[in-house]
Amino acid sequence: MDVDEIEEEEFGFSRNYFLAKELGSSSRKKSARKLSEIDLVDEEVCVLIPIIVQLYIQLELIAPTVRILHSCAVVFGIGDLSELREVAASIEPKHEKEVNELISSYKSLYSKWLFVLRSGFALLMYGFGSKKALIEDFASKSLTEYSVVVVNGYLQSINLKQVVITLAELLWDQVKLRQKTTSGSLCKSQQPFNTRSMSDLLTFLDSPDLEVEECFVCILVHNIDGPGLRDSDSQQCLASIAACSHVRMVASIDHVNAPLLWDKKMVHTQFDWYWCHVPTFAPYKVESMFFPFILAHGGSAQSVKTASIVLQSLTPNAQNVFKVLAEHQLAHPDEEGMPINNLYSTCRERFLVSSQVTLNSHLTEFKDHELIKTKRNSDGQDCLCIPLTNEALQKLIAEIV
Amino acid sequence: MYSPNEHPHTVPLAENNLQPFFVLHKASKSSESTAISPGRPTKRRLDSSPKVSLNNENKNENIKMEAFQCVWSKIESKIKDVLRSINADVFDEIGQWVRESFNEICSCRGPVDPSKSSLPYPFVHNGGLVKKLFTGLVFTKNIETVDDILTFAELGLNLKSRGCYVANISSLDFSTKNGIGGCLRAFLRQLLMVDIEAADVSLLASWYSDHGKYEKPVVVIIEDMERCSGDLLSDFINMLRYVIRILLLNFGTWRSDSIFVKVLLVAACKVSLSVFVLATVDLFKMVDNNEWSVKIPIILIAGVATSADAPRNVLTARALQYLSTSIFSLKCPAERLDAIIEAVLVKNCAGFSVGHKVATFLRSYFLRQDGTVTSFVRALKMAIIQQLSIEPLSFVLKLLVDEGDSKGSWYEDLANLPEELIKHSFELPSYRKYSSNRNNHVELNAMSLGHGLSEMQRLQELWRSRLMCLYEAGRYHKVALLDLYLEALDPELYNSRLSNQGCDSAKDRSLLSNNDKLFKLQRAEVTNQVIRKIRDLPAVKLSQLLKSWERLTKGTMEVHEKIMELQSQMVSEDVKSHKAELTDISKDTMQPIECIPFHELICFKDVDNLQSALAGDPRRRIQIDLLNFYKILKCGCCSNSGGTLSPSMHDTSIMLLRWTFRVPFPIILYAFLPMKEVLYTLAQEHGDLINLHDWFQSFKASISSSGKKGLKKLASPKKRKENTSSQNNSDALLQARFCRAVMELQITGLLRMPSKRRPDCVQRVAFGV
Repeated sequence: MDVDEIEEEEFGFSRNYFLAKELGSSSRKKSARKLSEIDLVDEEVCVLIPIIVQLYIQLELIAPTVRILHSCAVVFGIGDLSELREVAASIEPKHEKEVNELISSYKSLYSKWLFVLRSGFALLMYGFGSKKALIEDFASKSLTEYSVVVVNGYLQSINLKQVVITLAELLWDQVKLRQKTTSGSLCKSQQPFNTRSMSDLLTFLDSPDLEVEECFVCILVHNIDGPGLRDSDSQQCLASIAACSHVRMVASIDHVNAPLLWDKKMVHTQFDWYWCHVPTFAPYKVESMFFPFILAHGGSAQSVKTASIVLQSLTPNAQNVFKVLAEHQLAHPDEEGMPINNLYSTCRERFLVSSQVTLNSHLTEFKDHELIKTKRNSDGQDCLCIPLTNEALQKLIAEIV
Repeated sequence: MYSPNEHPHTVPLAENNLQPFFVLHKASKSSESTAISPGRPTKRRLDSSPKVSLNNENKNENIKMEAFQCVWSKIESKIKDVLRSINADVFDEIGQWVRESFNEICSCRGPVDPSKSSLPYPFVHNGGLVKKLFTGLVFTKNIETVDDILTFAELGLNLKSRGCYVANISSLDFSTKNGIGGCLRAFLRQLLMVDIEAADVSLLASWYSDHGKYEKPVVVIIEDMERCSGDLLSDFINMLRYVIRILLLNFGTWRSDSIFVKVLLVAACKVSLSVFVLATVDLFKMVDNNEWSVKIPIILIAGVATSADAPRNVLTARALQYLSTSIFSLKCPAERLDAIIEAVLVKNCAGFSVGHKVATFLRSYFLRQDGTVTSFVRALKMAIIQQLSIEPLSFVLKLLVDEGDSKGSWYEDLANLPEELIKHSFELPSYRKYSSNRNNHVELNAMSLGHGLSEMQRLQELWRSRLMCLYEAGRYHKVALLDLYLEALDPELYNSRLSNQGCDSAKDRSLLSNNDKLFKLQRAEVTNQVIRKIRDLPAVKLSQLLKSWERLTKGTMEVHEKIMELQSQMVSEDVKSHKAELTDISKDTMQPIECIPFHELICFKDVDNLQSALAGDPRRRIQIDLLNFYKILKCGCCSNSGGTLSPSMHDTSIMLLRWTFRVPFPIILYAFLPMKEVLYTLAQEHGDLINLHDWFQSFKASISSSGKKGLKKLASPKKRKENTSSQNNSDALLQARFCRAVMELQITGLLRMPSKRRPDCVQRVAFGV
C-alpha cells in the first residue's frame, strides 16, 4: 500500500473519530475513497483549452473564441468538445427568475452608485455570484458621460501600463471634447502617451491643471483579486491609478480574503473603497474559464489520456525514447527507475538518439509535461521513472503505438 | 461553454471577455455615444423613458452633487485647518531646528565662495560635527502611517514656505526591489522636477550649485522609517554623506595625491547608481582620510511610529554613527480626532450632524478596529453621501452652509421647492412626534419649514455652547470630547432626564444630588464626572471657568446672560450656592439633535448602511450569501424548507451546507475535553479536508433525494451501476453541476484545491460565519 494511503487512513480515523458522527462506522472507509471510483465523464480537452486560450492571448493573437476552440478540436483530432464542459454549459440555471429579479433590483441603486463615484469614492462590489454583467450594465447605462475602460482581472496576465496609456488617451480626448464645447481653445500638443513613463502618465491622470470640472475616466476592474492582478506590484499600480483625481474605479472581488491584498494606506487614501454588497448568484461563466474541472484531476484514466495527447504531439524518436523507458519500467517493476546512462546506451543502440544532448532535450520535454520524474536510487544514481501505474502505462504504450 | 453554434450574436462579447482590457465606450455628452468595442451592449435605455422625468432626475442629481460639494469642501477645508493648527507648534519647532542645523553647517563651512565648492581639511572648526547628518526623528505616536501621510506632506509645504528645498520620500521607495536607485530617483525627481531614468547624482550637485547658491538647506523627509528596508536606508544615509563629499571632490578643486581616486570618482558619478554605490563602498576608505567638508547642506527628517529605539533597530551601526538626532513629537490620533469632532460635528461647521448610534459606531470603529483619523474622515464623507441619497430634502444642508447671515434668500429658496417635498418634510417622524406632543396646528408651508429649520439651528447652537462649556470644565481632567459628545447626543438620556424633571418640577432646586443619582443610573458617566468636578472647583478656578464660558457662549443669548449674571453675583456672594445653577447651565436644555423636529434633514442616522459601505466583510457576507441565499433571492420554494437542505437550492449552497453538516462537532463536547484536545479538534476542524468522492456522493444524494430519501442517507453506489443512457446523461449533468459548484467555491476562496499528495481531498479554508 502506498504511503499516502496509509496516511490518509490514519488521518481519516483521527478526524472522523471526533467529527463525522453522521457517517457512523462507515466513515473511515469512505473518506479514503478515490475519485476514480466515480464514473467520470470525458474532460481531457478542457484541461488544455484554458492553456491554449491563454497562449493565444499572450501572443496577442486574439481570434474569436469559437475559432480557438475549433482549432483545439482540430489539433487534438477530437470531433466533440469535452462532454463535461458541454453539459456544464447546458446546466439549467436554478431560480433564474429570482436571480434576474435580484439583478434588476440593483438598477435602482445605479443613481446612488453614480453619485458615490462622482463624490470621489471607488466602488467595490462583492457578494456571491458573477458581477460582470451587472457592473458593465451599470457602466453602459449610467456612466455614458465618461469614457469607460474594462479590465478583465480574471485573465492570467494583464499589462497595466497599456491600461494606463489607454486611460490617459481617453482622458485627453475627453478634455479636448470639453474644451471644444466650452472655450474652443486646445492645449498644446504633447508627447504621445505610449512613449511616456508610468509615473508621467499617472501625473497626467492626476494633474490638477486640466481646467475642466469633473472630468474623469472610469476603469472597471472585474475581479481585482484575480490571478493576473494578485501580486503586490499590480495592486500598488492599481492603487496609484485609483488615487488619480481624474480616474474613478469600479471593481469587483469574489475571493473572501481579497481585502488582505491591501494595506491601510491603499484602502483609505488610494482606492478609497465604498463597499457595495451585491450578491447576484449569477453563474461565474467567464470567470471560471481558466479553472480546471475538479473531476478532471487525478485518476489514472485522465493521466493516460493527457499523456498520450502530449506524446502524440512529439516526434517519433521522442515517442520511442519514452517507450524504452516505459518498457524498462514494466519489465522491472521493483526497481526505482531506469538510470539515465542505461537509457542513453539503449537509445543509442536503437539509433533513437545520437548524443547525450539529444536525449537530454527529449527528457526536458518529458519533465516539462510531467511525464517522467527523477529519483535517486540506493547507489546514488539518478533514475528516471514514469509516475503511472503499470496498467496505465500499458494502456499508454498501446495508445501511442 | 463556448459552443460555436449556440449564440452567434454573443461572439464579439465573448471576444471582449478574453481581452485583458477593452474600451467599453467613450465619453459622450449626448445620447449617441461613439462605439469602440463591437461587443458593447446596447446603451442608454434611459432615453426611452419620458424626457421630463429624466430631466427631473438629472436636476435632482445635480442639486445633490452641488450640495455635497458645498458641504464636503467646507468640512474638508475645516479638517485641514484643524490638523494644520494642531501641528503648528511642532512644525514651528522643526522649522527652527532646520534653520539652526543649517546655520551650524554654514558656520562649519566658513565664508563661502560659490565658485569653489570644496575645501580641504583642516577646515572643520568644531570637532568634526559636519561629518554628521542632522536628523530629526518625528514621533508620530501612531502605528498607522496613513494619518501621517498628510502630516508629512504638510510639513514639507511648511518647510518649503520657510525657504527649504524639500523632498518627501515614502517608505515604498525604499523597497529592496527598486534598490538604492529607486529612492535616489524619487529624491531627485522631487528636487529637480524631472523624471530621470538613470539616477545620476551629478545632477544634484549641478542643480544645487545653480539653484541653491548655498543659501537654502535641502530637507529629505522619510514618512515612515520603520517600514523602509533597513539596509537600503543605511546605504542611503551613507550615500547622503558620501555622495555629497565625493561630488564635491569631483566638482571642486582636487588636491589629492592619488590621481587614481579622481578618475574613479568621475567614472562613478557618470555611471548608473548601482555601480556608483559599489564604487563608493571601495572609495569610502580612501576618501575618508581626506576629510572633506559637506557642502550641500542636507537635513534628514524621519517619521518614527514606535520608540526612540527604532533607528537602532532599523539602521546599521555604521549609518547610525553619522546621525545627529533631535526628537519631535506629533499629537496622538485621539487628540486629533477630538479636534476634528469639535470643529466639524460639535461646532457644526457645515450644518451636518450625525445621530447617536452613528457616533457610537464611529467611536468604536476608531477605538477598536481602525484607529486612524483618515477612516473617520472617510466615514464622515460617506455619511454625507448617504444622507443626501436617502433624504430628498437634505440638500437644505447647502442652504445652511451658504446662508450664515442672510436668511432672506433661504426662505425664498424653500418657497421655490415643489409642494411634495414640503409635504414630505412635515411627514417626517420627528415633526409628527413634535406636533402630536404640542398639539399645535401650524400651516404646513415653506415658511413654517423655514421656521422649523431656524429653530433647529438655534437649539443646536444652544446644545453646542453647553457641550463646549462641559468640555471646557472637563478639559483640566482630560475628559475626551468624544465621550462627552456621545452622551450629549443620546436622545434616550435626554428623554429620561426630561421625564425626571417633570416629576421634580415642584421640588426645590437643591435636589441636585438626587438628580446626580439619576444621572448615574442613566450611565451618563462622563457628564456626571465633569459636573462633580465643577462642584469641587475652588473659587478662583471657578471664576476662570466662568470667564471661559462667557467666551464660549457668546452666540447664545440665553446662556450667555445667565453666565454674566452668575459672574457678577460671584464677586460678592458665596460661591457654593451658585454651583447648583452652574451645573444646571451646563446640562439643562442640551437637546440632542435627534429630539429636534426636522432633524432627519441634516442628521444622518443609518448606522448599518454606513458600516457596510465603510468596510465590507466579504469573509462573512459571502458565506452568509450562500447559506441564506433563499432570503436574498426571496425564493418561495427554498424559504419553505427554512434553510435546511433541499434539492431546489443553489448548487454551491448545497455543497457548503453538506460540508457544514458533515462536521457537526457538538459544541458542548468542548467543555469536557482537556485543552489540548480542544485545540486539536479546533485545528482539525479549521484545516478540514473533505474526501471528494464522499462529497460528490452526498451532493448527489441531496440533489436526487427530492423528498424520497432522507438527507442523511447517502445514495448507495451500487444502485448507480445499473446504467441506462438517461442515467448516464443525468450522471454527466450531476458531475458537471458538482464541478461547477466546486469551482464557484474555489473562486470565492472557501476551498483549496486538492494537492498532488492528496488528490482526492479538498480543503476548506474559511470557517465560521
